[in-house]
Amino acid sequence: MANPSGILSPPRHDALSKAVGAERFAADLAPEGCLHAGAFRPGALLGIAHGRVRGVDAAAALAVPGVLRVLTAADVPGTNLQGIIHKDQPVLCGEVIRHAGDPVALVLATSAEALRAGLAALRADIEPLPGVFDPEAALKKDAPLVHQGRKGGNLLLGAVIEKGDARTALRSAPRVVRGEFSTPVQEHAFLETQCGVAQLLPDGTLDMTVSTQAPFRDRFEIGQALGLDPLRIRVRAPHLGGGFGGKDGATVQCLLGLAALNASGRPVRMAWDREESILAGYKRHAVRLRCALGADADGTLLAFTCRAFYDTGPYAHLGGEVMELGLEHAAGPYRIPHTRIEGRCVYTNNPIAGAFRGFGVAQVSPAFEGLLDELAEQLGLDPLELRRRNALTRGDVNCAGVRLDSSVHLVECLDTLAAHPLWLGREAWQAEAPACTRRGVGLAAVFNGMGYGRGLPDMAIAKVELTEAGDFLVYSGVADMGQGNSSAFALLAAQELNQPPGAVRLLQPDTALCHPSGSSSAGRTTYTFGNALLKACAAMRDKLLARAAMPLLRDTLEGLELVAGAVRHAATGKTLPLAVLARYLSRDDRICVADFLMPVAQDPPDTGRAFPIGFPHLFFAYAAHLARIEVDELTGRVRVCDYLAITDGGRVLDRSCFDQQAQGGVAQGIGFALIEDFQLRQGLIRSRDLSTYLIPTALDVPDTLSLAVEGDEDTGPRGLKGVGEVGLNGPAPAMAAALHRATGVRLRHLPFTPERVLAALKQRKTPSRRRA
Amino acid sequence: MNVLFPRDLKGFFKALAEPGARVLAGGTDLLVRLRANPQATANAPEGAGSATLVSLDRLAALRGIVEDSKAETRDAGPGNLHRTLRIGAATTHAELLAHPLVRARLPVLAQALAELGSPPIRNMATLGGNICTASPAGDSLPPLLVLGAEVELASAAGVRRMALAEFILGPGRTAFMPGEVLLAVHVPLPAVGCVQHFEKVGRRSALAVAVVSLAALVRLDRRGRIAEARLAWGSVAPTVWRCPEAEAALIGRTLSLTALSAAAAIVRARVQPIDDIRASAAYRREVAGNLLLRLAVL
Amino acid sequence: MMLSFTLNGQGVRLDTALDKRVVDLLRELQALDVKEGCGTGECGACSVLLDGVHRLSCLMLAAQLQGRELTTAAGLGSASAPHPIQRAFAEHGAVQCGFCSPGMTIAASALLAQNPDPTRDEVRRALSGNLCRCTGYVKIVDAVRAAAKELGDAPSDAPSAAPDDETAGARGKP
Repeated sequence: MANPSGILSPPRHDALSKAVGAERFAADLAPEGCLHAGAFRPGALLGIAHGRVRGVDAAAALAVPGVLRVLTAADVPGTNLQGIIHKDQPVLCGEVIRHAGDPVALVLATSAEALRAGLAALRADIEPLPGVFDPEAALKKDAPLVHQGRKGGNLLLGAVIEKGDARTALRSAPRVVRGEFSTPVQEHAFLETQCGVAQLLPDGTLDMTVSTQAPFRDRFEIGQALGLDPLRIRVRAPHLGGGFGGKDGATVQCLLGLAALNASGRPVRMAWDREESILAGYKRHAVRLRCALGADADGTLLAFTCRAFYDTGPYAHLGGEVMELGLEHAAGPYRIPHTRIEGRCVYTNNPIAGAFRGFGVAQVSPAFEGLLDELAEQLGLDPLELRRRNALTRGDVNCAGVRLDSSVHLVECLDTLAAHPLWLGREAWQAEAPACTRRGVGLAAVFNGMGYGRGLPDMAIAKVELTEAGDFLVYSGVADMGQGNSSAFALLAAQELNQPPGAVRLLQPDTALCHPSGSSSAGRTTYTFGNALLKACAAMRDKLLARAAMPLLRDTLEGLELVAGAVRHAATGKTLPLAVLARYLSRDDRICVADFLMPVAQDPPDTGRAFPIGFPHLFFAYAAHLARIEVDELTGRVRVCDYLAITDGGRVLDRSCFDQQAQGGVAQGIGFALIEDFQLRQGLIRSRDLSTYLIPTALDVPDTLSLAVEGDEDTGPRGLKGVGEVGLNGPAPAMAAALHRATGVRLRHLPFTPERVLAALKQRKTPSRRRA
Repeated sequence: MNVLFPRDLKGFFKALAEPGARVLAGGTDLLVRLRANPQATANAPEGAGSATLVSLDRLAALRGIVEDSKAETRDAGPGNLHRTLRIGAATTHAELLAHPLVRARLPVLAQALAELGSPPIRNMATLGGNICTASPAGDSLPPLLVLGAEVELASAAGVRRMALAEFILGPGRTAFMPGEVLLAVHVPLPAVGCVQHFEKVGRRSALAVAVVSLAALVRLDRRGRIAEARLAWGSVAPTVWRCPEAEAALIGRTLSLTALSAAAAIVRARVQPIDDIRASAAYRREVAGNLLLRLAVL
Repeated sequence: MMLSFTLNGQGVRLDTALDKRVVDLLRELQALDVKEGCGTGECGACSVLLDGVHRLSCLMLAAQLQGRELTTAAGLGSASAPHPIQRAFAEHGAVQCGFCSPGMTIAASALLAQNPDPTRDEVRRALSGNLCRCTGYVKIVDAVRAAAKELGDAPSDAPSAAPDDETAGARGKP
C-alpha cells in the first residue's frame, strides 16, 4: 500500500455510485426530444486568431435537414457580454474575433448528426487583423489592440506589492541571485468536457443543468449577457466530471441559454467535443517572470524583486485576480523584509486564460524556489536548511505584508521531510545511478492562499433539513467537481448531529433549492461551507432537543442528547425516534439555515496597489515536497521515481480525501513540469486534441506518498484548511531542483521536455559555465 | 456508410469491389480519421467519400500466427534457418504479444508492440493496419524491417510477395495495386543469440507517438564481433530509415561504446529528420545517434 | 439494419445504422455508464469488454457488435451489488470526479481476468490507456491490488464477473 498511514477512511458518499457508473453527470443528460446546439468557431478553421467578421453565410447550413436555426450576434438579446467580473467576452462575436476559438454563430438542430452537418456547412468571411501573441510585445506602443478603443490598451491590470525598500536592500545585499523564468499555458483536460442542458419553461424560467463550478454566479453572468432576469434562471450543478478551475465562469451557459430562448420551449443540449474544449476552454495563464533575491552571507533573506507578465488572452475572465494571487505568493513562504513585486496582466490574441488550480501561484513557485536553490548553492548551504531558516511561522509578516495569525506549519513540514529516508538517503541513492542514467533529488516549499481574499465576501449559507423520514438532508451550495467537498459536508453534518454517515444525504447545488454559497474554487469550499454547515447543524441539534422535550415530558433540556436516529434522555434512557419527532414538526420548523463569512484582514497592509479585490489573504496551506528522478543521458527523458508531499492543511477531516488532493495535485504538477506542452503558433493551437496535448498516464507518475502535518486552524471547521491547490505548486520547482542535481543545469522554462533536458546535459559537458 | 463482414477471401474481394470500399481492420486509425474528416479514407486522404467499409472481424483467413519452416524469404535474416512466422494481417498486437514464439524469438518486435498505443489499442489494432497506415512513426515497422519481413499481397487476380521495405513508399503511401490487400506478413526468425533491441522515445510512457525509435538486430560471431548489423529508425524520415554506412562501420567491431559512438556519428551526419509538434529536427538527429549507444549497456 | 447482441447479459435486438459508433449506440440505449472523453481512443473513458476483451467503444461501429457479448461497468456490478473491483475503488479512494471510473474498472477487470495477482507496475501498465485527471493514479492502483487480493482469497464460485469462464480459470494462482 502506498499510503503508509494504513487508515482506510469511510468511503466518500459519492464513490460507489461513481465506481459502478450510476452517477449522472451533466454530460449524461439528453432529455427526450431535445435539440442540439453547437457553436461555429471559424478562426481555427481559417487559421485566423484576430479578424474582422465580414459576414456569416448560413444558407447552406439552413438547408441541412434537421438544422432549425443559425443565430448570430444580432440575435443576442442582452449586452452580449459575459465575464465573471469584467464583462468583455461576447457570447457570439459580431464584429471581431479575438482568438481562434471565438464563436460567431450558434446552430440549433434536431440531432447531433444534423448539428455536425450544419456546422460543417457554415461559412464565415473573416478579414485577418494583425494580432499580438506575447504579453510584453502587447504592451509596446504600436502593438495591435485586442479591444479597440479600450482605455488602458492591452493592459488589463498592472499592480504592485511593495513592502519596505526592496531596490535599496537588493543593492546592498551581500548575495544576489536573479533570473528569468517562464511557465506555459496548461489545459485543464478534465475528462468530462464543458456541457449542459437548458429549457425555457412556460412560466418564463430558464432551467439549466450545467457542469459548472459556480451555479449561483452563473445566473448573473447569463442574465446580463442575454438580458434576462437572473432570478428567473435556475441552475443545477450535478457532480462535475472534473473542473480544476476550468468550469468557473460561463463555458456553455450563455450559448445554451441563447439556444433555449430560441427553441420554442424544447430542451436543448450542448456538449463540446474534446477539440472544442481545447479550442474554446479557459487555460492556465502563461507567465514570464524576472526576479532577484538578495540575502546575507548567512542565508537570511533580505529583499526580493519581481516583474511578472501574465498572458490572459483576449478576455479578462479572472486574469487580474489570478495575477494578484500570483504576486501575493511570488516571494515564497518566507520572511523577507523588503519586497517589490510588480505584475502586468495583458490582453493578447492567444486562447483565453482563466482559473486553474494553483491560480497564478503554480506559475511563480518555480521562480522563488529556483532562486532559493541558486542562493543555497552560492552560499554552500543545504537547500533544506536555507528554507528552514527563512520559513514563515505564525506571527511573521509574509512577503505581502500580512501578519500571519493563522496556522503556519511549514517548518514542521520541512522537519518531516528532513527526517524522511527519501531525503536522508539521497546521496547514496544518487550515487547508485545505473548506466546512462543520472539521478537527482530535489525539494520545494510551497504555499497557497485560501478563499477569495479581502474585498469579495467569501460567504456560504448552509441549509439542513430533518426529513419526514427522520434522516437529514444537507442542501449543498457549492458544486463538487470531484474534490469530495460534498462528502466532507456529509461527514461534518453526521459528526455534528451525532448520526451514522448513512443518515445524512446531500443535495447537489440547485439555485431553486439551495442557498448561494460561492464558487467551488480557491480551496474554500470545505472551509467556508463547512463552517456554515456546522453552525446550521448545531442549531438543528439544539432545536431538536428543544422540540423533543415536550413529547419526552422533560421540563429542561438537561440530559437530552441526539443519538443515532433519535433524541434520548440519558438518565431515563427514554428515546424519541427522529422519524416520530419529524411528524410533529412543520416543514419550516424542520429546516435550519446558517451562514459563515470567511474572516479577512481587519487592518490590511498598504502594500498592495491597484488591487481592486482579492488582496490580501489570511489563511494558507503549506507544503514541503521531495522528488527523486532519473534522467536518461541518451534521450533526456525524465522518470519520476518517488515523490513525497508533506502538507499542512490544518486538521485532517478525511484522510483519504486529503491524500487524493495531494496525489492528484502532484500528478497535475508533474504533467505541468514535464509532459504537458501546449503549443501555440500565432495564437493558433497546435496541440489540438489528446493525442498532441499529452497528460500523464498511470505510467508517468509515481506512487506519491502523502503525509500530513496536522495543526489546528482555529477558524476552520474542525480545524481544517483547504488543501485543494497547494499540491500543484510543488512539482515544478522540485523537478527543477532534482534536474539541477542530476544535470548541473538550472532549467527555468517549463516544461522540462526531453529536448530541453538533453540540451542541458550537453551544456554541462563543457564545464566552464558554472557561476559563482 | 455501409459496413460489410466477409467471411472468406472470395467474399472479401467481392466486397472490396464495391465503390469507395475501404478495409476496416482494428479501426484505431481509420475511425479517428473519419471522425476528423468524414470524407477522408485511410490511404487516400484526398480521396472520394468512403461509401463502404469492409471489416476484417469475421475473416478468419486473415488472423493467426503459424510457423512455416519451409518458407523461403528473399531477404533472409541474419543466420536465418529458414524458419518463418506467417502472421495474418488482421492479427492484433495483443495476440502477437501473447504468442510464445514472438516473445521468445522476436523480442525486438515484442518490445515495440508492448509500447504501441495502450492496452485497449493493442487489443483492437492489427499488425496489417500498422503496416498499411505506413506512418513514419508506426511502432512495428522498424522491427519488421530489421527482421527482413515480407508482405503477402493478394487481389482477385492472385497473390504476390514483396519485401516490406519495398512495400512502404512514403507517409501513408504503399505499393498496393488497385484492388489489392495485405493478407499476411512473413517474418523470418533470427538465429538464437542475435542481439535484438527496440527503444522508443515518446513524450510520455504510454499512448505516445514515437519521436524517435530504433530497432536493432545484431549477429555476433563466436568472438563477439559484429558479423551483421541491421538498424532501422522510426520517425526520422518519411519512411523507416536505414543507415547502411553505420551498419557497415560496425562490422568486425564489438558492441563497445567506441564502436557504437563512431556509428552514431555517421547516423547523425546522414539522418535528415524534420521538426514537428513533438520534437525538433536537431533533437531527433542527436537522439537517433544516441540510441545506438544503448546497445553497449544492454 | 437489425442488430442483435448481448449487453450486460441481456439480449438486445434493434434497428440501427450500421456505422453508428458503439459509444453513441450504448448511450442511446441508456448505458450512460459508458462515457466519452475524447472520441479518438486517447482517454479510455468509453472502455467496454467485447467478448471479455478490453476495447474502446468510440472506435467501434455498431455493426461490429452483431452476435457478440458486450459488458460495460454496469454489467460488472451495481451500487447494491458491486463487483469487488468497484467496491475496492470506492473503499480505497480511487474515485474522485468519477468520470474515468467506469472505464477504469473495465480495464482493471480485464487485467485481473488475465493476471489475478498483478504487481503495482503491471496494474499501471494495464491502466495506461485510461486517463484520470484527478487522482494521480495511486489509489486506483491500491484499489486494483486490493480487489485482486479479495478475488484471489474468495472461493472460486464467487462474483459473477463478465468473462466467467476465463476468470474462473485464471483465478487460481499458477
